[in-house]
Amino acid sequence: MIFAGDPLLSGHIDLAVVAIVVLKTVLTFALLLVGTMFMVWFERKVVGDLQNRIGPNRAGPFGLLQTLADGVKVFFKEDLIPEQADRVIFKYAPLLSMVPAFITFAVVPIAGDFRHGHSGVVSIFGHRTLLQLADPPIGVLLVLAMSSIAVYGVMLAGWSSGSKYPLLGSVRASAQMVSYEAALGLSVVAVVLVSGTLSTSGIVSAQAPWKWNLWVTGVVPFVIFLISGTAELNRPPFDLVEAEQELVGGYQTEYSGIRFALFYLAEFMNTITMSAIIVTLFLGGPSGPVILGPAWIWGLIWFLLKLLIFLFVFVWFRATLPRFRYDQLMDLGWKALIPLSLGWLLLLTAVRVGDVEGWNPFLVTMVGAVVLVAAYGLLVLAMRAARRNRQLAEELL
Amino acid sequence: MGQYLPVVAMLVLAVVFAILSFAASKLLAPRRPSAAKSSPYECGIVPSQEPPERFPVRFYLVAMIFIVFDIEIIFMYPYAVIYRDLGAFGLVEVLTFAIAVFASFVYLIANGALDWGPAKRLGRRDPQMSATRTTTSTVRRVGLEGRPAGDEEVAA
Repeated sequence: MIFAGDPLLSGHIDLAVVAIVVLKTVLTFALLLVGTMFMVWFERKVVGDLQNRIGPNRAGPFGLLQTLADGVKVFFKEDLIPEQADRVIFKYAPLLSMVPAFITFAVVPIAGDFRHGHSGVVSIFGHRTLLQLADPPIGVLLVLAMSSIAVYGVMLAGWSSGSKYPLLGSVRASAQMVSYEAALGLSVVAVVLVSGTLSTSGIVSAQAPWKWNLWVTGVVPFVIFLISGTAELNRPPFDLVEAEQELVGGYQTEYSGIRFALFYLAEFMNTITMSAIIVTLFLGGPSGPVILGPAWIWGLIWFLLKLLIFLFVFVWFRATLPRFRYDQLMDLGWKALIPLSLGWLLLLTAVRVGDVEGWNPFLVTMVGAVVLVAAYGLLVLAMRAARRNRQLAEELL
Repeated sequence: MGQYLPVVAMLVLAVVFAILSFAASKLLAPRRPSAAKSSPYECGIVPSQEPPERFPVRFYLVAMIFIVFDIEIIFMYPYAVIYRDLGAFGLVEVLTFAIAVFASFVYLIANGALDWGPAKRLGRRDPQMSATRTTTSTVRRVGLEGRPAGDEEVAA
């Protein structure tokens, strides 16, 4: 078992410890806000380039301050509340959507030295701590819990608007986020299985230096996590929640002014957080070679580089892929990703248990593959039966 | 519980940030309500119907099936952490559990609980896609009364 928990908070908590916690919280908060500002600019600029446009270029150098300008503008905009709305829920739904976005980032290791024998701990003012805001022993569960709570923000926003497009958008959103959360959760179990811990810094330590979960779990859980992560974020090609051609603006149709801005902020913050979680779970987080200087700075550099790859990938998805149809979305989630992630997880478990028990790995893989093929056949038969039943039912009508 | 202290600190900071934004917006933003602004958005049309209070039962079905899978996932997490200690016994238990869940999943799919949209694919037999249906045969031109017949193509 790998030691879980920040050494800063495992002993006696005195004033210095509280000061460090406050410092880290404010730093993380500021970093996340600035990062979100950058992300909005990055997305607009990259989509602009991919569509042969210039993108924002007026406010500040390269238009970098565009988000700040938009943010200031939003404060001066009228905040409308429709008369049909459930006022209290309508007012506070953006909060419910934004707070989980902040909290999820708390468990992401941002920097630190994760080479062999180190555990990413640095010394500040004589106290040893991790370069991540919090390291609860169940960090991965906290991430999943927060992504479940984010569903409530979207759901309540649409329901409380008292208007038809937001309601449709939020019903779609809840079904979609709930469906892909199952696939997401199952692909994370593979990571937990390999790392043997639920703490995020423990998972990063277990991957150092090059035992990245990306290949240790076989690429399948990573691909499933990336796809269902995109769906969880409601980003294109899974943006049926706010498909403007059919639903105007989805759940945020009735929102304006600062409340709309908070939804927007949460959306981009979630993109950053999801990329950070992917980097933590599959790409070894801040671990990487140290060239010169203090090791924890190299952790930060590697983390930011890996993060940037996924931020670009999400923007790239948006610029390239057309939106799914709703039935295709549900079929992909339930009939492809969930059975695949469950099957892969069981195969991985069997191989690892076989490794512990000393069974022949080739035999275990073969038996596992045969069982999986049989299960897949059963699934195909079930789908065929469903199709035949529906056709019969339609002919009778 | 010390490990959760920063999470609580972050929660407080995020809530304070949101409340301050709301307060700032309240101070800075204009407030000129009108009937048109506060009516539900309907692309400029006056809404003729109340928003629906019921929606398709399939969404509830998805929520219920999700609970089954969520429970499966929740059981997998503790197992994934201690599978080394449980050995072959744990594997057999997990496989039994997974088979039970998978069997109910196959039953649900065969039942059509997870089917969406029309059953029939739009094929060639479909009258919607025949060669006789062109823009001239399906689109009705209006507002051309009293114009010379030759103008029709130009107007199109």
